[in-house]
Amino acid sequence: MLRLLCLLLLYTAHVYSAVAQEKPYLPYYSNDTARAYKLAVLHRSAVKAHLTVPKSGPKEYREHYQEVVQEAAEDVFNSIRYSALLDSELEPYVQQVFNRIVQANSQLPISAKLILTRNPEPNAHAVGNGTVMLNVGLLPRLENEDQLAFILCHELAHVACRHMESSMQEQLTTLHSQEVKREFRRIINSEYNISSKIKALALGFSLNNNYHSRRHEKQADSLGYVLLTHTGYDATQAYRALQLLDTIDEPETTAPLALSAYFGCTAFPKLFEAAPTKPQSIFTVKASEKTVLQTTDTLKSHPDCAKRMRFMSILAQGRVAEGPQPLSSPVFARIRQISRLEVVQSWFDYDCYDHALFEALQLLPQQPQNTYLRSVVVLSLYALRQHLQHHTYTEVVSNRSEQNPASFNKLLLSLYDLRLEDFRGISACFAEKTSLDATVPADEYDLAARYAARALTTETTAAAALKVQYQKQYAGGKFDKLLFSAQPPKTAAAHR
Amino acid sequence: MLCIKRAALTACFALATAAAFAQTKTLDGIENMTRSALSPIYAGNEVKGYLMFGRGDKADRKTDNYVLDFYDQDLGKVSNITIQKPANRFTLLKNSFNGTAFAFYFCNLKDETVEIETYDTSLKKLGSKVIEDLSKVDKMIIQNQMKQGGETSSVSGKMDLFPVPGHGFVRNSYTGMAKGYALVMYDDNAKAKWRLASDEKSKLYEMVSLTEATDKYILGIMMRRDGMLSKQVSSSMIAINAATGKKVLDVPVETSKTEQLSLSSFTFDAEKREFIAVGEYYKLDDKPFVNKSQGFFIKRFSEAGKAVSTKNYGWQKEVMALMPAEAKASLEDNYVNYTQSIVKGANGKMYIVAEQFKIVGDGMGIALRAMGGKVSVSKGKIGNMLVFELDPEAKLSKVKFYQKDPSNAILPPGSGLMSAGLLGHVIKSQGDFDYQFMQRNDANTQFNVVYINFDKEKGEDTKRVIGNIAFGDNGQYLEDKINMASAANYSYLYPAKPGYVMIADYYKKKNQLGMKLVKLNI
Repeated sequence: MLRLLCLLLLYTAHVYSAVAQEKPYLPYYSNDTARAYKLAVLHRSAVKAHLTVPKSGPKEYREHYQEVVQEAAEDVFNSIRYSALLDSELEPYVQQVFNRIVQANSQLPISAKLILTRNPEPNAHAVGNGTVMLNVGLLPRLENEDQLAFILCHELAHVACRHMESSMQEQLTTLHSQEVKREFRRIINSEYNISSKIKALALGFSLNNNYHSRRHEKQADSLGYVLLTHTGYDATQAYRALQLLDTIDEPETTAPLALSAYFGCTAFPKLFEAAPTKPQSIFTVKASEKTVLQTTDTLKSHPDCAKRMRFMSILAQGRVAEGPQPLSSPVFARIRQISRLEVVQSWFDYDCYDHALFEALQLLPQQPQNTYLRSVVVLSLYALRQHLQHHTYTEVVSNRSEQNPASFNKLLLSLYDLRLEDFRGISACFAEKTSLDATVPADEYDLAARYAARALTTETTAAAALKVQYQKQYAGGKFDKLLFSAQPPKTAAAHR
Repeated sequence: MLCIKRAALTACFALATAAAFAQTKTLDGIENMTRSALSPIYAGNEVKGYLMFGRGDKADRKTDNYVLDFYDQDLGKVSNITIQKPANRFTLLKNSFNGTAFAFYFCNLKDETVEIETYDTSLKKLGSKVIEDLSKVDKMIIQNQMKQGGETSSVSGKMDLFPVPGHGFVRNSYTGMAKGYALVMYDDNAKAKWRLASDEKSKLYEMVSLTEATDKYILGIMMRRDGMLSKQVSSSMIAINAATGKKVLDVPVETSKTEQLSLSSFTFDAEKREFIAVGEYYKLDDKPFVNKSQGFFIKRFSEAGKAVSTKNYGWQKEVMALMPAEAKASLEDNYVNYTQSIVKGANGKMYIVAEQFKIVGDGMGIALRAMGGKVSVSKGKIGNMLVFELDPEAKLSKVKFYQKDPSNAILPPGSGLMSAGLLGHVIKSQGDFDYQFMQRNDANTQFNVVYINFDKEKGEDTKRVIGNIAFGDNGQYLEDKINMASAANYSYLYPAKPGYVMIADYYKKKNQLGMKLVKLNI
């Protein structure tokens, strides 16, 4: 009987786990901000405690030092307070990788900590007190855990070598050196062409800093590689990680967005492919000449990835992984997949609705049944319309730029071209194409998107019913302000 | 002018955190900002960029570095030019772009000269010209223009550099004690091509202001008086051949055998090759403003200057029939219309944009006059906006009325003797109308009129709205209102690319200038 009961329990647990796995992932959101706040306060204090202001030295130097520390501590506080990603999947996962590295390398300070942030930019950096900040935007761009481990090792190497502290001290020492002070005084006293002279002085200062910074990067690659070899991770992936970083600014796909397929239909046959091109500029000014800092590799703060890769290859004695790597495990595949969704949500939460729309539309063809992605598209359209109506559209829609992927620029041109009444048409077409209303609302995003879709298509009765349902089901929910506030939408600029 | 603050050393090392992604631009270190420091660059009908002129640091004991910053229509920085000119004594009077070259019209107060510098579209210098023979009046007008931050126009006099596509730039000047005028055309290399001046033997005092460059002509309004102190001014429309500088049209329009005409504006219909004059008409023995105008007229002239047609649109007949109910009260209230702009759409329709104004007794002025002061006893009152639509057969087909809060205009002494048209020009030159500008696309299919509206009694802080009236080929009239309230010390409104306006907010305490494009819901 007991055996039967155990079997039954095991079976139930198995079924539950299968159901849990199939449940679509929703980006992290918590009304409770206390945890992030506590963490932020802790790290702010840690930065202040770590970067102690020297007791000796000129007063001016010490005061400046104090200012820089204060600023660094506030930066860390704000990053964690407003963007720490404390979910139950990604965060434990990256912490486990981080802990494995720290445990395998006893020389690393025990105070080293990892914070996963919701920043969608693919990047990571270390803070003076030993905190490594990892942006969620980096995760989808990596192929396996070994590469992630190398990047964390690289940042921990910066921590171990006390690069941030030494950089700060070097910069402040130079800035407050008799030589610079004399030069600065000479410039000010000369009265003439002060701006260009200060620019030249600043350039010299930057060159000096970049020289040290490059030296630090090389050290971090070198020590990072050694740290990685102690962990049991595949060290050949360090090279591949650098290879990926080399092309990190390029789009993952160059395929154009299927705008007409999603937003055009019989009722609204707007041809997005024929969106107007950017008007010709009257200026025929050549692109501004690059500064010495931009053209000469030896003067950049980070050496070119190609050079770093060559250095890494020597370090690894040629044992390197090159080219696209197969995904190492289903676990990492899921990490990539859900971090992509976090990136979409992150853009949305930062009021970058154009980016959120772009990312969601890029993913939607691969995951046509993903209710969350469909919801983000509708909610982004709703937010964009709100901003257009309140004349803050240009504050949330980016400028077209040569640095953007061509497909993003195309989306931007289409967005510039939209009028208030067009949002009704494109929302109706999107609902028709993606069967938004086929089932019962799955979650808060889905229900919010259904309300937004009805509001956009001016189906007032249906919208009112969905509003009641949302406010009843998710009182004070994530989208309450966006959807139901009587106030005009605020922009990030306004927040600042 | 804009003054750029000397950057502190530490600021140079600070990281910029500007929201570079949006169609906005934030500039720090701006010590001072006037409207004229920033000016739109037009190519054809459309705004294609902006120029910002500012004084930087000192170049040596006697000269300063002046910076010309160029932005594209999306507020993206294009480039900049630094020039060394006399310290504190140099300013930009006007920036012009004629489709092929930029011309910058500077005033050198130290040497009491004006200078023209021309640049091609890659911002390579093409030529320059220093004009030394300025008349006393020229100098007075420049002084006045600078006092008002370059915001003067027409009636009170203005030193201008008028762009003429395909030909160059026309500079105006005043001869004698403002008895006459002179116009000089400079090509893209700043070389003089032709000169047109008033006849020295003429007994009349003449003043010209250029209004429009067409494919072949330069249009302007000529004002004539029979004596220096004469307050009775007649206005004529003139057209100058852009290639030769010969006057091909000089027609007084305020005379008629049947009625008194008051010219408000005129333009050229390139399709029909005809000049069009628009204004209001009165009975022969009526006095403008004392009596109500009878309606508005449209007169057409051939390229040879012959009157081709005259059409009158009576308030009580043609206009009243189409006037919206809410507009009728203002018509009864003695308001007259000042024509702000006339445009012809690609659809053949003509649109006349007018703003109402009237003269009312000024209690304070009357009291001061009684005490011996030399002030006007009347003041101007600015009313609502109107758009008259005429079909391709010149039949009045629509009248649209847009209500706004009334505002006041202080009038100079002697205004009572002026005609309605001229008084409108006076109010216009003082910048007292709420109309700001009209924007249109190159295809002439979409137009929008931009005006400001704020509670004049309580001040701009309580309510500040930018009104937009859009019309065009789609046949719809749309109105969009932007709430312009901000914490800025000064907010300036500029034309922008089609479908947008540009707002520049200056924060004095932060020494910061924020520029943003605002997409219109039109």
